[in-house]
Formats: sequence, C-alpha cells, structure tokens
Amino acid sequence: MYIEKTMMADGGAGAQPACQCSDREGALPCRCAPLAFPYIPMQNNSPKRYDQRQALERGTLFPGLDLPFHRELKARFPSVNSALVELMALDFAIDEMGLYLVTHKDDQEALELYWSYIRLAKEGRKKYEAMYGPLRQTTITEGGYRWLDDPWPWEKGGNS
Amino acid sequence: MFVYEKKLQYPVKIANPNPKLASVIISQYGGPDGELGASLRYLSQRFSMPYPELKGLLTDIGTEELGHLEMIGAIVYQLTRGLSEEDIRTAGFDTYFVDHTAGVYPTAASGWPWSAASMQVKGDLIADLTEDLAAEQKARVTYDNILRLSDDPDVNDVIKFLRQREIVHFQRFGEGLRLAKEKMDQKNLYFINPSFDK
Repeated sequence: MYIEKTMMADGGAGAQPACQCSDREGALPCRCAPLAFPYIPMQNNSPKRYDQRQALERGTLFPGLDLPFHRELKARFPSVNSALVELMALDFAIDEMGLYLVTHKDDQEALELYWSYIRLAKEGRKKYEAMYGPLRQTTITEGGYRWLDDPWPWEKGGNS
Repeated sequence: MFVYEKKLQYPVKIANPNPKLASVIISQYGGPDGELGASLRYLSQRFSMPYPELKGLLTDIGTEELGHLEMIGAIVYQLTRGLSEEDIRTAGFDTYFVDHTAGVYPTAASGWPWSAASMQVKGDLIADLTEDLAAEQKARVTYDNILRLSDDPDVNDVIKFLRQREIVHFQRFGEGLRLAKEKMDQKNLYFINPSFDK
C-alpha cells in the first residue's frame, strides 16, 4: 500500500496503522509529508458504487465523489429507457471504472467488475447495432451500407 | 489512433431552441476552460510523462474530453435549430450570428477564438498535473455559472453531468500526483524533472 511505502521512504520509523476512512474520505499520508506539494487523498479501494444507470444520471459511478451544485433542481434526465441509454450507461461505467483502475491497479474486485461490464457491453452493442444501425464505420450490417444513415448523434432523434 | 463511435457519452435532447443560452454555452466548446482546450492539453502533455499511470490518466481523460466537446457541440447545435428572424436578433446571439450563422465555432462566449494561449504543456509532471487540477476546477466553475444562467431543464441535465466529470477528473489527477511522488525523490521533489532528466 501507498502509505506503508511512504513511511519506508521516509526512514521507516515505526509502523503506523493505515487510516480508516469513510467512503467520502480517503487516506492522506498518516505522518509527515514533504512541503510544497499538493495532496489529494487517495480514494479507498472497493469504494461504494451506484448501478450503471444511476451512475450515468449522477455523472459518476461513485457516491463518495458525487458532489452536486445547489442549482441543479431544474434538470430532467430523458425518461426514455431506450437501448441506447442502456448502452450509454454500461459504457459510462466502463469509462469510469477504467479511469479508477489507472490509479488503483491493485484493486482486484474493481478489475473483475470492469471486465464484467465490458462483456455485457459487447453483447449490448451487438444487439443495439442489429436494431438501430452501426456504431462504428467498420460494423458489418445486414442489408448493405448504413453508416451514413441519419440521425447522427447530435441531431434530433440521434439520442433515443 | 482514435476510433469514432456514432453515439454521445450522455444523451443530449433539447426540446426548445434558445440562441442566447447557446451563445453562453459555446464557451465550453472553445473558451479558455472549455473541452477543446482540455483535450488538447491532456493529449499533448501525456507525451512527456515518465510514469505509466500518468500516461494512462492523460490518455483516458483527454479522450473523454473529446467526447464532452461533441456533447457541447450537440447542445449548441440543438439550441440554434429553426431560428426565427427575431431569434437571430437576440441580444448576445446577434454578434455570434453575424460571424458564424448557426455553425458551431470554437470561441469563448466573450468573443475570443479558441487559443492554445489558454493552456500550457510545460514538460514537467508537477507543473503539468498541477495545471490540470486547476483546469478541472476552472471548468467546474464555468459549469456552475452556466447552471446559474440557464433555466432549461434539458440543458441543465447535461451540464450537471459534465460538471460532475470535472470533479472526478480532479480527484484522479490528484491521485496521479500522489502516485508520481511515490516514485520521485522523497526529500527534495524539485531536485530533478523526471519528465526530462535521466
């Protein structure tokens, strides 16, 4: 763990227990730290998670990092429960977990979850493309070339 | 290599046009703290990063910002569909309209076209990552300010998603700094520049 390594690098004087942090907190070095360096606490391993649909609505997979602005009351999430939104939610969970893993590469539970999301999304992507057309230019589609079909993602109807 | 996927990261469905609001939101397309600058900053800084975690962070976050650029473009596009003669005279939008009609152009809301002068690539990991922490906070404040100016629930829904992403990215950049420090000289962090010195 990071804290132990820091202690050793600092001379290894006396073992200190790792900080016990809540889900909204993270561990700073538990003893002395160099001056003139900013510290953001590390998020704990295996942090609490939203399910992927809620994660997409909240903008993060992690309740501990969910810090909304006070004027968000007038907002509505598209109520559609479409195949595309389902796929977006899954892909978002993949992006978020992938980013988490970059700084938490030893979190085995997160890695397994990451891979399970990826397997699900692979299936979901196939089903979506069969119904609504290709997501990538290289997707082979039944019935000919469909890459150029409207709507494109920024257009009306491109998000449902 | 980048591969385009024909979908947004998050749905953008704006029911009503609102050119005045578009002329404010354009700042997150091409303004000093916008998504174009964010993606170019991170995707450029990554080349001189000495540690794999930092290359990974800047690649992932820089790529996500490109997705956010597309979302902001989609908001501006949808807010400026089917405008009337009166709409284009809307105070705030008329000055944008005369130069760009209803096209999506990377500029700050205050009129300055996107410029690399609004970002830096210093080639030093402490300097670059500290800039990135600040950049995420500046983008977060821009989204706060858009939420103050907007009464459109369809727009706010997307903006609050983008705003939350800035907070998560801030956290990850901070963790990246921590991991980098672990690999650097503990007594004097400023002894060398691990992005340059061997």
